[in-house]
Amino acid sequence: MTGYFLRRFLLIIPTFIGITLAVFVVMHFVPGGPVERQIMRYKMAMQEGGGGGGGGRSVEIPEEAIQEMKRYYGFDKPVHVRYALWLWNVLHLDLGRSYIYQDPVWDVIKSRFPISIFLGLTGFILSYLVCVPLGVWKAVKHGTKFDFMSSFIVFLGYSVPGWALGTALLVLFGGGSFFNVFPLGGFRPDNWEYLGFFQKIGAQIHYMFLPVVCYMIAEFATLTILTKNSLMENLGQDYVRTAFAKGLNENRVIFKHALRNSLIPIATGLGHVISIILAGSFLIEKVFNIDGMGYLGYTSILQRDYPVALGILVISSLLLLVGNILSDIVYVIVDPRIRFK
Amino acid sequence: MKEELLPPIEESVGAGAMAPPLPQKKSLSIFRKRVRKFKSLKRGYYSFVLLLVTYALSFILPVLVNNKALAVHYQGHYYFPIIRYYPAAQFGMDAIGEPNYRELKRKLSRESAGDWVLMPVYPYSPTESLLDLPGSPPHKPSREHIFGTDDRARDVFTRLAYGFNVSLTFALLVLGSSYVVGISVGAMFGYFGGKLDMLGQRLIEVWSSLPFLYTIIIVSSIIVPIYIPGRNLLMQPSFWLLIAILAVFDWMGITYYVRGEFYREKAKDYVGAAIAMGVSEPAIMFRHILPNALTPVVSFAPFAIVANIEALVALDFLGFGLPAPTPSWGELIGQGMNYLTDWWLVFFPLAAVFVTLLLIVFVGEAVREAFDPKEYSRLR
Repeated sequence: MTGYFLRRFLLIIPTFIGITLAVFVVMHFVPGGPVERQIMRYKMAMQEGGGGGGGGRSVEIPEEAIQEMKRYYGFDKPVHVRYALWLWNVLHLDLGRSYIYQDPVWDVIKSRFPISIFLGLTGFILSYLVCVPLGVWKAVKHGTKFDFMSSFIVFLGYSVPGWALGTALLVLFGGGSFFNVFPLGGFRPDNWEYLGFFQKIGAQIHYMFLPVVCYMIAEFATLTILTKNSLMENLGQDYVRTAFAKGLNENRVIFKHALRNSLIPIATGLGHVISIILAGSFLIEKVFNIDGMGYLGYTSILQRDYPVALGILVISSLLLLVGNILSDIVYVIVDPRIRFK
Repeated sequence: MKEELLPPIEESVGAGAMAPPLPQKKSLSIFRKRVRKFKSLKRGYYSFVLLLVTYALSFILPVLVNNKALAVHYQGHYYFPIIRYYPAAQFGMDAIGEPNYRELKRKLSRESAGDWVLMPVYPYSPTESLLDLPGSPPHKPSREHIFGTDDRARDVFTRLAYGFNVSLTFALLVLGSSYVVGISVGAMFGYFGGKLDMLGQRLIEVWSSLPFLYTIIIVSSIIVPIYIPGRNLLMQPSFWLLIAILAVFDWMGITYYVRGEFYREKAKDYVGAAIAMGVSEPAIMFRHILPNALTPVVSFAPFAIVANIEALVALDFLGFGLPAPTPSWGELIGQGMNYLTDWWLVFFPLAAVFVTLLLIVFVGEAVREAFDPKEYSRLR
């Protein structure tokens, strides 16, 4: 089995190259790249400087200047050479320099880590804390009124994307037209540094309540139903019948015997925790105006800040690939019957 | 009835063949049985009927919700503006271009000369800016505009109604095109196996590891309105292009299931018989195996539609979706983010998304139960 996981880890390399190459090539052919943006900015500056009367008058930029700009951004080389150079730098842990922020990409991304980790981890832990017990309870009470009523919430969670629910929550509670309970967005209040310890906790909960609810909604339906179905399946197994037959009481059978086995598929999700934490949902971050990893990735694409966009891709795809393998490892640890070959 | 103690872990099509033959009057095909089962699941079945009727109705929306009159009786002549264009002068109005038929209706009823205008039930168009409303847009919901108007004074209700058709059509087209690719590819992987399968699986792993929305935004930002220096050119993503882009990222999901089904079916006797009879490979794959491998294809579809609609709403919200005047739910929610106090711009589109997706999820649950049953039994 060690051989299996070793092979899986080695397969990360071609997959990683494939992913980054695909995005790199696409980005190369996207018009409106940094060179064109610079030219545009330059032209606009020239037109404004020239009295503004010109309007549609086109400003010619000397060819050498364009070449110089292309050289500066590395666009003078063919795409495969640029990719090779970029990959070489990544191997040396150098993700390049952001076009917009003028800082090393790693520093730009690193500054967003605490925000994304905070949000992702809180949402992740809370959804497991809520969904697993709820799923268990729904399985135990299968077919009852409780099961039926809670199914409605599950369907609601499945039918509304988390970010879209966020917009509604903002309108409702964000001081718009109804209740002025939560702030309109942002990660922390402006006066964060001057707050005492308990005030900080209060402020953080105040700011993060709505976004975390949206994070949870995304996971809520699938996780609850997964728990429920898994437990239901186990409750129909022979060993449960045996346990009942030998006279164990119901609670013991369900919580001691069946539940342990039914948590196996849920445990595998734990492997993905690393990618969930950092990938973040840029939609939720955009709605709540939180400056996390997801939002950084989104704006970097809009602003054609390729080094940052690629840097985020590198980190998130690596985490995803490693997370997949981690899931399998967790699977093997939790369930000794599983053998990969 | 004998209660089943062990739940069938996996019910495949072939399982029925293994059961001892029972004397039967007329055997129902497995597909018929499943359809019958689906019909017996009331919540899903009625949701399906409701969706079907609403979707069919949404194609005649121009007759129901429009600012063009259905029929005009003017000075002894009948006119049908819904199918033909008439200049305003035709009806004695001094506007340029097409007349405002709501105004014409008011005018004719004031004159009371026996002339009349028959307007659609809800007489507003989704792309029409209602500039004659008092105050500045967005307008609050009122009796004339039950869901209010958006920031360009377009009626929200009509935009939602037309948006329903756009969203569902879009989702179905994406589903169709990604199914054609995904099923063929999955069938080939499962049927031929070997090196093709190995290599293909790797490629799919790469492709599906690309962050979906992130990549779509990169790709569709190529075609989002951009200014190309030198030429005064504006490019916009078209409906069809967006379908193609989404399908390109969407087809992998079904391949896993189809591949698995083909892998299993391939080993069965009827395939061996077909090979022995010299049936061509495409015919074996698509005429013989595919009908037996449809379970995942059918039960996957509703959830794929949900995902497609969600993707479209998200893309429209971000401004990378359908070109500008197209009625869209996501675009309205995006507007709502700019006018947070104008709750109707968020709540009504969100309710439309919610109700539509909820109905589709209900259908999906029922389809899954009918096509891929997992029966749970408990002793106590």
